[in-house]
Amino acid sequence: MNQGGKALSDFVAEATEILDTLNKDLLTLDERRGQEVDPDLINGIFRAAHSLKGLAGLFGQDRIARLAHGMEDLLDRLRLGKLVLDDTTLDALVEGLDVLQALLVDASRGETSNTQSARVEGLVSRFTHLGEPTAPGEEDVLDRLELDAQVRAVFTEYEEHRLRENVRRGVSLWRVRADFDLSDFDKGLAELNSRLKPVGEIISTLPSAQPSSASGIAFDLIFGSKVSDKELAEALEGTLAQLSKLAVRPARATAPATPSVPPPAAQAAPPAAARMAASVPATPEAPRAASTRRSGAKKGKASKQPPPAEPEAPVVPVVARETPSPLPQPAENEAGSKGPRVDFDTSLRSLTQTVRVDIRRLDGLMNTVGELLLIKANLQRMTESARQEGTLMLSKAWVQELARETRQLERKLDALQSGLLEARMVPVGQVFDKLARLVRRIAREAGKEIDFLSSGGEVELDKLIVEELSDPLMHIIRNALDHGVEAPEARVLAGKTRRATVSLRAEQKGNHVIIEVSDDGAGIDEHRVREVALQKRLITPTQAAEMSRRELLNLIFLPGFSTARNVSELSGRGVGLDVVKNNISNLSGLIDVWSERGRGTAFQLTLPLTLAIIRALVVGVSGRTYAVPLNSVLEILSVQPKDIRTLERREVLDLRGQTLPFTRLARLFNLPERNTGRHFVVVVGLAQERMGIAVDELFGQQDIVTKPLGGRLQSVRGISGATDLGNRRTVLVLDVAALLEEGMGPERRWA
Amino acid sequence: MSRFSELLDDFFYRPDEDVGGLLDFSAGSDEVLPLTPEETPEEYLAFILEGETYAVPIRSVREIGKVPPLTEIPRADPWLLGVMNLRGDVIPVYDLKLRLKLSDKAPVVAGPDAQPPPRLARILVAHTEEGPAGVWVDAVKDVVRLKPSMLEPAPSGLGGERDCVVGIGRRSSQLFILLDLEQALA
Repeated sequence: MNQGGKALSDFVAEATEILDTLNKDLLTLDERRGQEVDPDLINGIFRAAHSLKGLAGLFGQDRIARLAHGMEDLLDRLRLGKLVLDDTTLDALVEGLDVLQALLVDASRGETSNTQSARVEGLVSRFTHLGEPTAPGEEDVLDRLELDAQVRAVFTEYEEHRLRENVRRGVSLWRVRADFDLSDFDKGLAELNSRLKPVGEIISTLPSAQPSSASGIAFDLIFGSKVSDKELAEALEGTLAQLSKLAVRPARATAPATPSVPPPAAQAAPPAAARMAASVPATPEAPRAASTRRSGAKKGKASKQPPPAEPEAPVVPVVARETPSPLPQPAENEAGSKGPRVDFDTSLRSLTQTVRVDIRRLDGLMNTVGELLLIKANLQRMTESARQEGTLMLSKAWVQELARETRQLERKLDALQSGLLEARMVPVGQVFDKLARLVRRIAREAGKEIDFLSSGGEVELDKLIVEELSDPLMHIIRNALDHGVEAPEARVLAGKTRRATVSLRAEQKGNHVIIEVSDDGAGIDEHRVREVALQKRLITPTQAAEMSRRELLNLIFLPGFSTARNVSELSGRGVGLDVVKNNISNLSGLIDVWSERGRGTAFQLTLPLTLAIIRALVVGVSGRTYAVPLNSVLEILSVQPKDIRTLERREVLDLRGQTLPFTRLARLFNLPERNTGRHFVVVVGLAQERMGIAVDELFGQQDIVTKPLGGRLQSVRGISGATDLGNRRTVLVLDVAALLEEGMGPERRWA
Repeated sequence: MSRFSELLDDFFYRPDEDVGGLLDFSAGSDEVLPLTPEETPEEYLAFILEGETYAVPIRSVREIGKVPPLTEIPRADPWLLGVMNLRGDVIPVYDLKLRLKLSDKAPVVAGPDAQPPPRLARILVAHTEEGPAGVWVDAVKDVVRLKPSMLEPAPSGLGGERDCVVGIGRRSSQLFILLDLEQALA
């Protein structure tokens, strides 16, 4: 890769990380809509925007820098209390994040699309016009606080704002005075900080004017806390800190006393002030430029992708009606909710192939490599001694040593392998976070009230799988929101809670991870499914009559199936669950659906932990060799031909009183069958499905590295990849999930 | 070094010098067709399929190798001979003869019943939009330089039902059937 490409990919990787943090914090902010805003959170977002601006500037990504700058500005105003965080502001911030993400996609492809540029301009000017400054003229609450003017003079603008906030909310303010020895005051101060943090907010830390001793240093911490005096005293027990309450005079008592103290912050906090001043001329002041630019952006989008733009028109009234807070400017609101839709086609996949690895894991790997080198040295020495002996008869001690070294080598290679696999693992929470934001947005736009619960985000999966999961999960969740969950009114009529619950859950079970998306919505109507399947000639009436409820539900995964009565913009765009199923199958996973009318739907995905190195059972059929991933092998049976029975022309086995579907691999693959007398049956299972696969020979187990068959061979059924068993010959790896599906429903497939 | 020897130096051939034009000149000297000097010849790889000589632009060929053991893919199209392992990558190998209607049955070259490949048979690994693909050829013949003036459009009816044949290259008395591999492997 050339220099520029490397720099760009570095930028994209780093920017993606920042956007992830931004995303997480904005999500928390979004979740707590209407509650008291945590200043730390705002600060975090502010810092993220600031570092993104710096980064983008460094790499010449002007549009990103410009937008991040606008966001930073807005956040700075929020942080300093010059602006109240209302829904409009939050929506603007969320949209800002969306645009940043789109810009990053552009940047990673080296493109500059005009649509996005227009959106940047629109947003930046919207940011500037957000929240006209709150009317001044009110009495400055700070004046009610009994603080020396001297002390007040050193507060930064931000500290002053926080102090004001606390007084306004009626939080009691304390001065915590602590003396420390000069030699270790940093430690003492840190400890004091960590003790105070849980019980309140440290507004400012000031060196005190009156140190207690010559070699000491004293600090005044201005501290706001809602807890009682007693609790606070307890929190500080054991430290040398002295508490004293800052009295707050009642309102209006001394209102005109010091009417307009010029804000000392202007001098005290030059960096903040300078930043503000610098930013003002940088942003365009044209008052209505925002709306014209936005409409320009919309046109650009419409011409670019006409099909989705048309059907969304009828959706708009619903959005307007269901918007949670009555906003006075519907035009603004409509534009705001339209903006993010551009992104519906963008994938949630990350733009980078980078994995962050704990340095300790890498150290562990390095150690293992070191030990491998030692073993190699030993083996070299032994080869040398064997050569010098020159005799064919090798000493017993030598052979024993060789055996020992080989064992060592094996052990270390195992360690290296598992270490590398571990390094590839990332928590699924990475995807969950991205999905959570999507859910809130879609729910808001579709006018549905939804509680989104996610759990098990800490479960780890191979990075590759996590990446490939995001699109199918997004699809399923959209389905749940769009078709599954009813409108609030309909829910109340049905005797359910107004708010629907959609949950996303991950759980590890042995070698597999199970991810479940469930909702408590209307459920899938299997009669309707049958009707549609018949209508679209996916099944014949006789088949329909024989099908169980579960089989009927599984019809939704057939290509060309969609029950959505009216095609909406969210889901039902022609790409259906068959695509989801394909994606999951490509990951050697299984998808299953459970649904009950009126009670809800659940999709369950069963996925392997990793695809990189797996243990496989090597089997032979008609002289060919295949590998079966061992994680799906339950047991191996030896079966005589007389044990095989037929049920409705399908072969089955009787396994401890249970009927087991049975498939001959040779027949399935159209290979010449060999008469071997008896069969080995490999019983495979994934999720609830079980099946016996008959093979001619068993060759044992081996660790294999599965290589995908590549784009040209994607359509090959029943094969998930190929591997090399060490003799230069390529061996195909069976796709157990696909074979199960084929074996389970042959009449469905070949009807 | 004197200025004289520097001047003299210009007369000698340096290994890094581009003498393509010269070579063309000597190669084309036995040509009947008049040459336009600004024509840039393109290199083609010529190979044999069922006795016929075919050629593809050499840019589209990544490498040529002996036939490795091939693994058949069950239930695949007949012109997919199998897959091979090329330094750790799994690459599909195709039979163009079926595509070009030169034969109507794919040879058994993969699996346990496969015959050892003929001594001259080779696999061309081609770049395609969907990744590398192997092509079975009966023998590799030569690299030929053909100028645009040596090419003529393909007579209709050649190349099976697909438009795999893009033209005919004519060099003195020799004919090359020019293939579009992308099309032939689609």
